[in-house]
Amino acid sequence: MTDTSTSAAVASARHRGRGHAGRRPRRAAAPIVCLALALAACQVPNSGSGATPVEGSTELPWSQLRPLVDPGGYVGSTTALLPEPDIAPITTNPHPVLPATVTDNQGSKVTVTSDERILALDLYGTLAATVAGLGLGGNLVGRDESTGFPAARSLPVVTSNGHQLNAEAILALHPTVLLTDTTLGPWSVVLQVRAAGVPVVVLPATRTLSTVGSLVGQVAAALGVRAEGNELATRLDDEISAERVQIDAVAPKDPAKRLRVLFLYARGQAGVYYIFGKGSGADSLIDALDGVDVATDAGINGFSPLNAEALAKTRPSVILMMTLGLQSVGGVDGALKLPGVAETPAGQHRRIVDMSDYQVLSFGPLTAQVLDALARALYAPNPVASGPVISPSGGAR
Amino acid sequence: MTTIDAPHEAADAQVDTAMSSPVRATGARRAKVTTLFAALVVAIVVVSLVSASVGQYGIGFGDVAASVAHKVFGPLGVGHASADHFAEATLWQVRMPRVAMSLMVGAALACSGALMQGVFGNPLADPGIVGVSSGAAVGAAAVIAGGINLLGEFTVPAAAFVTGLIAALVVYSLSRAHGRTEVVTLVLTGIAVNAVAGAGLAFCTFFGSQVARDQIVFWQLGSLNGSRWPYVVTVAPLAAFGIVAACAMARRLDLLALGDRSARHLGVDVERLRLAAIVLVAVMAAGAVAFSGVIGFIGLVVPHLIRMVIGPGHRVLIPASVLGGAVLLAGADVVARTAVPYADLPIGMLTALVGGPFFFWQLRRARGRAGGWA
Repeated sequence: MTDTSTSAAVASARHRGRGHAGRRPRRAAAPIVCLALALAACQVPNSGSGATPVEGSTELPWSQLRPLVDPGGYVGSTTALLPEPDIAPITTNPHPVLPATVTDNQGSKVTVTSDERILALDLYGTLAATVAGLGLGGNLVGRDESTGFPAARSLPVVTSNGHQLNAEAILALHPTVLLTDTTLGPWSVVLQVRAAGVPVVVLPATRTLSTVGSLVGQVAAALGVRAEGNELATRLDDEISAERVQIDAVAPKDPAKRLRVLFLYARGQAGVYYIFGKGSGADSLIDALDGVDVATDAGINGFSPLNAEALAKTRPSVILMMTLGLQSVGGVDGALKLPGVAETPAGQHRRIVDMSDYQVLSFGPLTAQVLDALARALYAPNPVASGPVISPSGGAR
Repeated sequence: MTTIDAPHEAADAQVDTAMSSPVRATGARRAKVTTLFAALVVAIVVVSLVSASVGQYGIGFGDVAASVAHKVFGPLGVGHASADHFAEATLWQVRMPRVAMSLMVGAALACSGALMQGVFGNPLADPGIVGVSSGAAVGAAAVIAGGINLLGEFTVPAAAFVTGLIAALVVYSLSRAHGRTEVVTLVLTGIAVNAVAGAGLAFCTFFGSQVARDQIVFWQLGSLNGSRWPYVVTVAPLAAFGIVAACAMARRLDLLALGDRSARHLGVDVERLRLAAIVLVAVMAAGAVAFSGVIGFIGLVVPHLIRMVIGPGHRVLIPASVLGGAVLLAGADVVARTAVPYADLPIGMLTALVGGPFFFWQLRRARGRAGGWA
């Protein structure tokens, strides 16, 4: 039985100079063509029938994909990739109404007088992505470690030692407004920036499916682009609703057959393993994918250190992980050696689905695309094409 | 005396020589002490200015000096504020509090080290062994992991201060027997308390969220990043009170060096002196550690270096340690900020890197002299 891991979309789409002008229907594409249904049995290594090379293949809408009849029985790991990781702005010509006065999440009244130089920093990169979605991406002057969408990659990083804010790096960029939440520290650095005269707007740190629209509204209010914010929030909510309808169509209808999914966080090989339970954002994600969040069912709240027996008791059929986290434990083979994983149905089927750390739980403007990519990985994973598979994270295993 | 009778000349000359050598010796020592203090004060000023002029935000040394002169002597028209208002804000809101904090924390830690070494009569004593650092770490970790936010930005330092103090006093009270404190028992109890605090720390680290864990780890490594004026203003009175009280105790510490019994016969209330010293050490060290995280070895290294220059007299040792500690930590902070580009090395790591080998060297030296006093 060979492992197959495929990407639901491929970076070659970007190579072909696909821009994001206008409002094309946003659907994560699966350019690898393979209509062979993947059932629980062995995967043929050279599945040449119907497989076309990745380059030059077309977007595959859901109507052309046949979802698995029994997704719980599929064997092999999959990487969920976005076809277009760049953010499509709601408008290329926003009209900020300034000065804008808002009461931030901590009750401080902040007045923003200029949108010229924006810094949006948080643990998941959501705020910077939201600013880009509002059409103000060109005004970003710096980024945090978690912001990786292509348009922002060349911006200077203002965190040091990983996720620690650096006051001098921030002030050296002469920002006119700083948007942050409490997930990056030390908090005193944020206060130093405020004391230096920069308007600092603190936003809520919760990230779930229901906060997508409200966060957009709060960021837009702070930057004085409420109208654009409403438009973006509506667009995102519409996209998410449409995606959920699509997922309902491909997921098993019978609740007993729904996929049992568990989100596992791992970093390195020194025992830093956590199960993400209720309230961590993973529950909202799994729920939207029409899966059963086994961690919430088992009564796990928030982030719980991994306990082998508890994991085995939850019996997940799929384990969801972050891509860099999976790499840090040594890939799928390493993940199977984590305590309790090999004893789960997911472990026995090597069914590990991973997605970029910066997209999977960020609940930003790419949420609908993230859901789509994950749904494809869960319900319609495709075997590897016979040609070389070009995927940015080297997902072919 | 201008005329000396000839037969008495030789005898008088001998008396003269005998009388003038202690005078000359004291004069030489006084000169040495004055030079040391002058050097330390100059070093403090230079290190402060250098520290204020390095950082990711490029502000030249000349600009820094001019801005400082303007702030201090503004009405006299000396110096000028920086033209770039961000540069001015960075200098006065980000760097200056950091410089002030490093000076004060260094001073407080070195002073507590000198006090500990005087009270225990052992050159290897360090505020950490009384359990202050680990106790404070547990308090900070508990608040960080629990997400408690009662006092806003002061919650973590307040918790660290309280638990550091409690740990030190627990160690002290557990090591008393029959109204006396055995030094060895104190050290061993300190070790036990450190072990328990370590377990508490591991518990908090394990149960915190990912973000909390990062914060706890960085707090334990010690960092002056994020120092602000409100913190400086909070630590200043604690440090000042501790230093002044320590200087007042200096003479009695000198007497204590003769031995417990001799000191008692000379009128020193040994128990009360020990208790007062430990309370001072706990207050100063807990206050310093509460804001800057765990920074060790300053209390060990600085008094030793000073002693190597001017000997063990506490009336000079304590003030000189205060100045020396300030210079050392401010200098270490400059290195922490500039050694690796765009990174801020944890300062506790740096001091341990230098202090650890120094500790070993001292151990070897002390062995040769039966654990003696410098």
